[in-house]
Amino acid sequence: MQRRLDQTAGTGFDYADALRRCAKGERAALRLLYEQDAGAMLGVAARILRRRDLAEEAVQDTFVQVWRRAASFDPARGAGRAWLFTILRHRALNILRDGGREEATDADLLADEPDDAPDPEAVVVALDEASRLRRCLEGLEPQRRQGLVLAYTFGMSHGEVAATLRVPLGTAKSWIRRAFLQVRECMR
Amino acid sequence: MTPVMRHEQVADYVLGTLEPAQAEAFEAAMARDPSLAQEVAEGMRRLHALDDTAELLAADDALWLRIDRSIGQVERPGERRASALNAAWDSLRFWRWAGLGGLAASAALAAGLVALVLAPEPAPRFVAILVPADGSPAGAIVEVDADGGARLIPLQDIPVPEGRALEVWTLPSPQSGPVSVGLIEEARRADLAIGGLPAVGEDQLFEITLEPETGSPIGRPTGPVLFKGLTVQAL
Repeated sequence: MQRRLDQTAGTGFDYADALRRCAKGERAALRLLYEQDAGAMLGVAARILRRRDLAEEAVQDTFVQVWRRAASFDPARGAGRAWLFTILRHRALNILRDGGREEATDADLLADEPDDAPDPEAVVVALDEASRLRRCLEGLEPQRRQGLVLAYTFGMSHGEVAATLRVPLGTAKSWIRRAFLQVRECMR
Repeated sequence: MTPVMRHEQVADYVLGTLEPAQAEAFEAAMARDPSLAQEVAEGMRRLHALDDTAELLAADDALWLRIDRSIGQVERPGERRASALNAAWDSLRFWRWAGLGGLAASAALAAGLVALVLAPEPAPRFVAILVPADGSPAGAIVEVDADGGARLIPLQDIPVPEGRALEVWTLPSPQSGPVSVGLIEEARRADLAIGGLPAVGEDQLFEITLEPETGSPIGRPTGPVLFKGLTVQAL
């Protein structure tokens, strides 16, 4: 059943239904999505952008896009929540690659202490212990796992991952891509 | 795209390591290739749990108000084009009425109409012209975009008795039977909710029936079919 597939375990929130109602122009449905996920979205955007104001901008743009594109959401193709966060991550990455982060002043930074450097392993252990994703990530070579997590959760480019892991660019690229394919295979 | 390049690009897109321009090109490729979009969606779904490892931050009403204000100004996909199309139809009627248009004018107008349909993205991929059973003039057009958006554009006023409404249906497959994609109280341009359905294809039936004002009570057409038509691929 599409409907069951699209409810996030535990919350029971029906994303497909909310998106269908957004497509019909019901603002109340967008508001429900906001109440449901805006806090989580801000967290994801802030982890990538490290600035509250830019994270808010990313979340705002995301909701506007969701409103515009709700009719194009295809529940047969994927869970609504993953779709929302995909839009969000790409919006945050666009802001990041446009150089938003470079203009940050100290006051704008959420928390950028030296000991707050991106820690990909901490992300992995924050995953539910029983989750398949965690098992699959833990099955990877550590550096490949770190490369994938640095790119996905912290929005690092291939070059930034290479610098962080201290390997040549080409190595980082192929590690990250291979890690992605391995995880995909592992989760099938 | 070779299979290896394809895998690499899917990985890069899902992980977000493409440059914005590359990402845009990839999105265009996805719009043309449903299997590629499917592969990407699957990858996104698999990694989505990583999003929940971020710290939850408080989202306040001020941010919601900014969103609410900006969607008030958002042009829904197709709005601008629809009005341009209506204008073109108005002038089409004018030419027909005048009866003097001649071949050249009609050809120019047809070209203009195609240009109007194609100019602003997303371009419609399928169009259905809905006509009544008695062969009188068409009542409405259905446009389906490559990105999955769809809309109804009435071409004439459709009388709706008190307490009734117009319901728009499509038939994704004979097995599924007709599915409601919109309910409107009067003949007006409206977005159609085809998002949850299989992608629209050629020769897919769309129809408008007269139903109770809250829509058909049984989820299937109950009232008379006013207009119907099959999709054809747009240029």
